[in-house]
Amino acid sequence: MFEILDAVLERAQALGAADVEVFGERSTSRRIKVYRQEVEQLTAAQRRGVGVRVFSGGAVGHAYTSDLSDGALDALVRQAVDNAAVSDPDEFMALPRPQGEPADVHPYDARLADATDEQRIAVALEVEAAALAADPRVKTVEDSMYVDADGDVFIASTAGVRGSFRAGQCYAFAYVLAEEEDQVETGYSYGVGRALEDLDAASVGSEAATRATRLLGARKCPSMKAPVILDPFVSAAFFGVLSSALTADAVQKNRSLFAGREGERVAGDLLELVDDGTLPDGLDSAPFDGEGIPSGRTPLISGGVLQGFLYDTYTARKAGRASTGNGMRGGYSSLPGVRPSNLVVAGPATPLDEIVAGMEQGVLVTDAVGIHSGANPISGEFSVGISGVRIENGSFTTPVREVTLAGDIVGMLMGIRALGDDARWVPGGSVFTPSVVIEGMSIGGT
Amino acid sequence: MDLASFDTALLHATIERALRRGGDFAEVFIEDRESLGLRLEDGRIEQTSGGRETGAAVRLLSGERTYYAYSDAVDEAGLTAAADAVAAAVSAGERSAGLVDLGPVRSDPGRNPVLTPPGEVTIAHKAELVRAGDDAARSVSDEIVQAIVGYGDTRQKVLIANSLGDLVADDRTRTRYTAQVVARRGDVIQTGHETVGGSAGFELLDEVIARRTARTAAEKARVMLDSRPAPVGAMPVVLANGFGGTLFHEACGHGLEADTIAKGASIYAGKMGEVVAAPIVSAYDEGSITNGWGSQAFDDEGVPTQKTLVIEDGRLTGYLYDRLRARQAGAAPTGNGRRQSFRHVPIPRMTTTYIAPGDADPDDIIAATPRGFYAKSLAGGQVEPASGNFVFGVAEGYLIEGGRITTPLRGATLVGNGIDILMKIDMIAGDFEVKTGICGKDGQGVPVGTGQATLRIAEMTVGGTG
Repeated sequence: MFEILDAVLERAQALGAADVEVFGERSTSRRIKVYRQEVEQLTAAQRRGVGVRVFSGGAVGHAYTSDLSDGALDALVRQAVDNAAVSDPDEFMALPRPQGEPADVHPYDARLADATDEQRIAVALEVEAAALAADPRVKTVEDSMYVDADGDVFIASTAGVRGSFRAGQCYAFAYVLAEEEDQVETGYSYGVGRALEDLDAASVGSEAATRATRLLGARKCPSMKAPVILDPFVSAAFFGVLSSALTADAVQKNRSLFAGREGERVAGDLLELVDDGTLPDGLDSAPFDGEGIPSGRTPLISGGVLQGFLYDTYTARKAGRASTGNGMRGGYSSLPGVRPSNLVVAGPATPLDEIVAGMEQGVLVTDAVGIHSGANPISGEFSVGISGVRIENGSFTTPVREVTLAGDIVGMLMGIRALGDDARWVPGGSVFTPSVVIEGMSIGGT
Repeated sequence: MDLASFDTALLHATIERALRRGGDFAEVFIEDRESLGLRLEDGRIEQTSGGRETGAAVRLLSGERTYYAYSDAVDEAGLTAAADAVAAAVSAGERSAGLVDLGPVRSDPGRNPVLTPPGEVTIAHKAELVRAGDDAARSVSDEIVQAIVGYGDTRQKVLIANSLGDLVADDRTRTRYTAQVVARRGDVIQTGHETVGGSAGFELLDEVIARRTARTAAEKARVMLDSRPAPVGAMPVVLANGFGGTLFHEACGHGLEADTIAKGASIYAGKMGEVVAAPIVSAYDEGSITNGWGSQAFDDEGVPTQKTLVIEDGRLTGYLYDRLRARQAGAAPTGNGRRQSFRHVPIPRMTTTYIAPGDADPDDIIAATPRGFYAKSLAGGQVEPASGNFVFGVAEGYLIEGGRITTPLRGATLVGNGIDILMKIDMIAGDFEVKTGICGKDGQGVPVGTGQATLRIAEMTVGGTG
């Protein structure tokens, strides 16, 4: 792949472009879905392509191609140069320069590639079997899946950035429907790892089943102001939405409710929020980001106080500081953008049963629909539909659904008063979080 | 790569190779897509991006099973490797279907005519429209603090061949312009959004249209600065035309897609012919609307798109099928087998889905509502097809008092159940309008149209913070 990258750099330089960066990708993946103990879908994929950025006087043009023939590379470079001509220049936009050694992280386990399709299918079958066996009210497991991805990325630039690494991950997923007296409730769960052997398929299936069956009989509860416990899946989704406001991109574009508040209290004083691209078991860990900048560890909130933001090369230059290694790419066809790597929610842990026992009134929230549409990361206001289990006088009582949870993000962060002892990795954004207890939330029911 | 003159013998050989160990349907899908995207924020056109992605996928169906392999390499080696990958997955003893020789290439270039191919328009001219949008948005008010204006065009050429002998070529051009505008007054920040798009060329746009689109988004944001927190509770809800159609798409449309039906994971499963909506409600999915954003001549399995009646006078009359689910159900495919790209398995998807207009006057609907909520623009939402429960964010909403639209309300969500709200529709106006969107399902995004006329739901739960 480096030969292709070098060929692109040479062609671009021949067209007069001095500052050029090229990113290449080559990967394989498997996706297996089973249904009623039969393989329903098996997908085998191969992907490769390159993307090039040409920097010209502060203007950038980007182009990409999956066709790596000579003619296609010529067209690629011409298009990038043409695109640069229409982009507006910006004094802070420049080719990323090498910024130290790559982080010492190896997000790959050679056992991933050794797995056979039979073993992969067996994982998905076990997920489904465990979900069905967990409870007779589980009638259908709509999704029982095994998915993996194994790929290399490459980067080279005329500034001397040059590197590559291999990354791999796999996960098991279950989405379960439980039925009782004409009521259907759903539950899901994930397991993640670097190799198939890391996955506990049976617990993925049985946990998804439990999450669905404990909602059976759910109905609306009265409207109230009460504390809620967001379980790790729901917490991960909330922090995922919140994290976009913690990027320097949002701050510099006037789109962050945290702009200008560094050093201020923005959350309950026990909250530690860190972005860490170097964790050995982090799903999105990597030696360097999509601009070749080493991954790092960036405290965002510490002791409830806002510490700082995430930066890529552009936003860092604009702020007069160094990139935090958060210039992330979705793939060869995407431009780098500021995003978290692994987001870690931490702080002093309290056993979950102790939290519940101490709660007079409240709701354990196990599912929230509309977080991405119902939460406004700019204004911080949100209102989402939730399902979960009501807590009364220190015990779980009736399941609830079709109720809304509303507030604003800063109010919610400030209301955090405890963290559970059940921290786990949640994929789809890569967040490591326990259950989070928040006081004084508006619950809209009957 | 010229798909129209692609080597038919290679397609035939690939299908034959995929079927050699068993399977009852095999298909080759070849795609060549060129895209361009321009994005302006902070008054600057940012990193302009464009490119070309080509690839080929081979799909093999055997009973209920799907085997799928794809590669970025559209050549004999790539197709052979993909065919071998799917053939290897077939268990010994699965029955093998016959293979019909490929017929002549079918296409329907007149279905969504392109008057001005975007590829023939300079990037500089496209950039002018984006800058014009920024100017128009900011001229609405001093309180407009940010405008994000986007322009995108794609030309996606596909060639689909299968073991039934179908050979279809479809050349699809889509053009879209979007504006998202942020207004701020003190600590209050609000956003507004508007789009224009179609399965059409650059003729969709000019400077007047660009400016109008951006201005509309800016006005939405500015109006919402005067908003107060929405109340909580059950009340009549009037859904505006255009963006209001997102509710039907999410709350009902997804439950009509035949994959959720087949698994009993939809509230509409087993209800064919039953009453699922008020008698004044009829609804369609229509992939054949000329130049519609959600339209194309053929779906991604080579089936011609059509107009499908899904609800007639309140009774359920149709589901949306791809080939696989149609075959399982013994029904005819409805042209709803869609995929994001060659990297995705086709699944049943909506095209443009809408409740048919009625004959009420939109003003009369408001006048007939003493107190209620007017949802002018929805922010998007989520639904669980199994239960029909949904939640929507409201981007632009107002209180209705004394039969008049009064205070703007912010932070509102609409919460309910798909069948429940369709049963409670009691008035439908005639001001039908379609908006453009990208619908996500199973990790695949496809262009869809959502629309409707102004209509009223007699009672619905509004979740707010006030």
